[in-house]
Amino acid sequence: MGKINENIKDITEEIDEIISIMDNAISFAKKSSADEIEIFYAKSISTSVSFRNDKIESAKESVGSGFGIRAVVDGASGYSGTNISERLIDSVKAAIKAAESMDGDPMWKGLPEKSEYLEIPGLYDENVCNMKLEECVENTMNIIKGISSVDGVKPISGGFSRAVGINIIQNTNGVSAQKKATIVSASADASAESASDTSTAFDYGISRTFDISPLKIGENAAEMAKKSLNGDRIDSGKMPVIFHPFAFSSLIENTFAEAIDADNVQKGRSPLIGKIGEQIANPKLSLIDDATIPGKTGSCSFDDEGTPSQRTEILKDGILKTYLYDSTTAARGNTKSSGNGFKSSYGSVTSVDLSNLVIIYPKSDIIRETKSGIYVNSLIGAHTANAITGDFSVEVRNAFKIQNGEITKPVKSAMISGNIFDLLKNISGAGYDVKDVGGIITPSIKIEDISVIGSE
Amino acid sequence: MINPNDIKFYDVQTIESHSTGIVLTNGKIDSINENETKGSGIRALCGGSWGYTSLSGNKDIKSGIDDAKMLAKSMNSHSPKDEVDLSPSKIPKKISSPKPKISPSDITMEEKIELLREIEHYIKSEGLKSTTVSYSDSTSKVIYMNSEGAEVEYDIVRSGFSVSAVAGNENTIQSGRESKFDICGYEIFKKYDPFVAAKKAADTAKLLLDAKTPKGGNPKVILDQELAGVFTHEAVGHASEADLVLMNDSILKDKIGKTVAPDEITIVDNPMIYEFGYFPFDAEGSEPEKTILIKNGIMNEFMHSRETANRLGGTPGNARSQGYAQPHVRMSNTYIENGNSNFDEMLSEIKDGIYLIGSRGGQVNTGEGIFQFNAEMGYLIENGEITSPVRDVSLSGRTLDILKEIILVGNDLKINAGFCGKAGQTVPVSDGAPHIALSKATVGGI
Repeated sequence: MGKINENIKDITEEIDEIISIMDNAISFAKKSSADEIEIFYAKSISTSVSFRNDKIESAKESVGSGFGIRAVVDGASGYSGTNISERLIDSVKAAIKAAESMDGDPMWKGLPEKSEYLEIPGLYDENVCNMKLEECVENTMNIIKGISSVDGVKPISGGFSRAVGINIIQNTNGVSAQKKATIVSASADASAESASDTSTAFDYGISRTFDISPLKIGENAAEMAKKSLNGDRIDSGKMPVIFHPFAFSSLIENTFAEAIDADNVQKGRSPLIGKIGEQIANPKLSLIDDATIPGKTGSCSFDDEGTPSQRTEILKDGILKTYLYDSTTAARGNTKSSGNGFKSSYGSVTSVDLSNLVIIYPKSDIIRETKSGIYVNSLIGAHTANAITGDFSVEVRNAFKIQNGEITKPVKSAMISGNIFDLLKNISGAGYDVKDVGGIITPSIKIEDISVIGSE
Repeated sequence: MINPNDIKFYDVQTIESHSTGIVLTNGKIDSINENETKGSGIRALCGGSWGYTSLSGNKDIKSGIDDAKMLAKSMNSHSPKDEVDLSPSKIPKKISSPKPKISPSDITMEEKIELLREIEHYIKSEGLKSTTVSYSDSTSKVIYMNSEGAEVEYDIVRSGFSVSAVAGNENTIQSGRESKFDICGYEIFKKYDPFVAAKKAADTAKLLLDAKTPKGGNPKVILDQELAGVFTHEAVGHASEADLVLMNDSILKDKIGKTVAPDEITIVDNPMIYEFGYFPFDAEGSEPEKTILIKNGIMNEFMHSRETANRLGGTPGNARSQGYAQPHVRMSNTYIENGNSNFDEMLSEIKDGIYLIGSRGGQVNTGEGIFQFNAEMGYLIENGEITSPVRDVSLSGRTLDILKEIILVGNDLKINAGFCGKAGQTVPVSDGAPHIALSKATVGGI
């Protein structure tokens, strides 16, 4: 055995052909009625192996690619997308027609011009490209092994995957750029059972290179599930809550990230309208959007419009410095794009999104410093937080009581409620455990006076 | 080297799709997006191992089948395990998927935009900070074939619109949102009055400005049909998916034949009714069936794919996928059947508590049986009457506990369209219920 997967697919295969198809579409566009055209191409090849219980269930190999087209007429952008190369010119026509149906935008300043891009190291790893199916299987087996190494804990599901992607952007202003990136991820869901209780937990790791440990990820999930068994009820009240990076990042993603999106600000949907220059958070807190950090999952040389990546201080010493912008919102806000124009898939509309969000606060031993409170590993229902107001009311998962500076008993079923902007004011500490959770890079965060509701 | 007979099964799901989306915000068209895609998802089974490949665009399906077969064989030799057998699949003979009365492609872009402008203009007069009206339609052809000789296809058109409004005063900004999605064409605007929906969204946003956040605690609650539907989907539906049951990730795993709810409760999943979760055959080509999850309070059966049906005993028909992605066991149209109470009786029975309305979504941990969902708004119930509005209310609980807390089941079932996420894939579903009253529930607040 071992002969099967010798032909690892090469991401650059067909790329010359794709570029000539794109060149052709750009020439067509230049003769069309559109003022500007952008053609975006994305291709990814991924291999993933998944397990259910303690058995490997399936292997998946996906090759996906497609074009996203943006036509600008009188400042308005019409979009289209297709994954059928033969239909690219028709898609360009559809985008032009869409743009022509729209209201013009007199503020529009044009698509990005050709520019120099910073080389961000550590985003592409040849070893990940060459990873064979056998290795993916072995890594998956190691997750199972990690979970099973903890007594009384069983694997539920999870898997290992590696992917390589390529993006090409061309526009009629002369932008012609290409970026490649790799990604490796491993996830584990584990279940612990006692005579009277079941507890589950998860862990995952994601990186540009294979520096995550599938074994460790399995062990972490298993240990967390085991520790969470036989939880106590908790009395309702206001208390300090320490949010693990999983919990804190999920709240930030669903509330604060929306509030600093210039599109929401310009459309009257953000509570941060008019707050630039104001103290909105604890003066020791700073938040930075930074696409230029080597090796991070949200890093890139340029965004999906071809704007060079940059480091943007959003919150400095608790003061709101700026919102995040793509080309459209930058023009409307009379400023420059911060390089945050991203697409969720090749065919989607470009919108403002975070690259890496780095949360900075002085670190200390926050558990030791807590006399009485709870530690919350993750949240159930963070996506139901109110993005417009910042209010949330969510269930805790894998939570523990903190008594006299020590983590003690697990908590079974409790809700926590609050408002993200109050939380940012009431931050009282950060741990040493900085983690990159899908582009939000944060330590554990301690917040005072959170409303905790125990179930009866 | 490889015996070609090792592959016992393969199938191919091909989807061709055309979609349009229009978003209008604050009087201007925010975006128009048209997408045309084609792709195939291919599975092959060798021993107990699945190989899966996907192809996008006009690629050669034959090579995809070969790759999937190779993957399955390779996996089977790397990590051999118990044979997987598939329950026989009933292939539908005649497919009568609902046809749109007005094809979205027969309506010009200008006409669609004009209607959205009228809808927005209608609520603009109500003095709001921000308004968004969006419209989308998609036309898909689904073609399924497998190594057993099945070859079936259907066409389906889905349309929808949503209206959201943001109101503000010196203290706060609040939002209201209404959406309607259905398996139909442009007649969506005839089936559901967009002006009524728009007005409702605007009214909610303004009402919430002065609403209070309730005190957290464990009050008696009444859930409206939409929220009770989300509860049904999150708390009961997901835990009744047989793949989770087999993974030991469901609180309902040992409950078949046992009483889990009051005898007034019957919960079904039915892909055959013409609601948003409808399909004429599932992602494995199986003819769908109505599944009675809970029958008169007793856990009755789970939802299955061909693999889980074979392992646990049951009927396939609930394998679903987003586009041509890998199929999983999923819900379709899931609802609590009508009971006997009317809403006024519920209010007087509850006397003091909270009436929760509408949903901002929910989530469940199926293994522990703990769920959370968030209401769009609510009202206090005081002395049997609806009084002041409340906002930012979430409810959480343990599935097995809360089912037993159901004290009244209404007679006013309503089904709402929505989207469900599982395993990183989103599929159209609907869920519904009549009003239900709970003797207590954990409500998050201040």
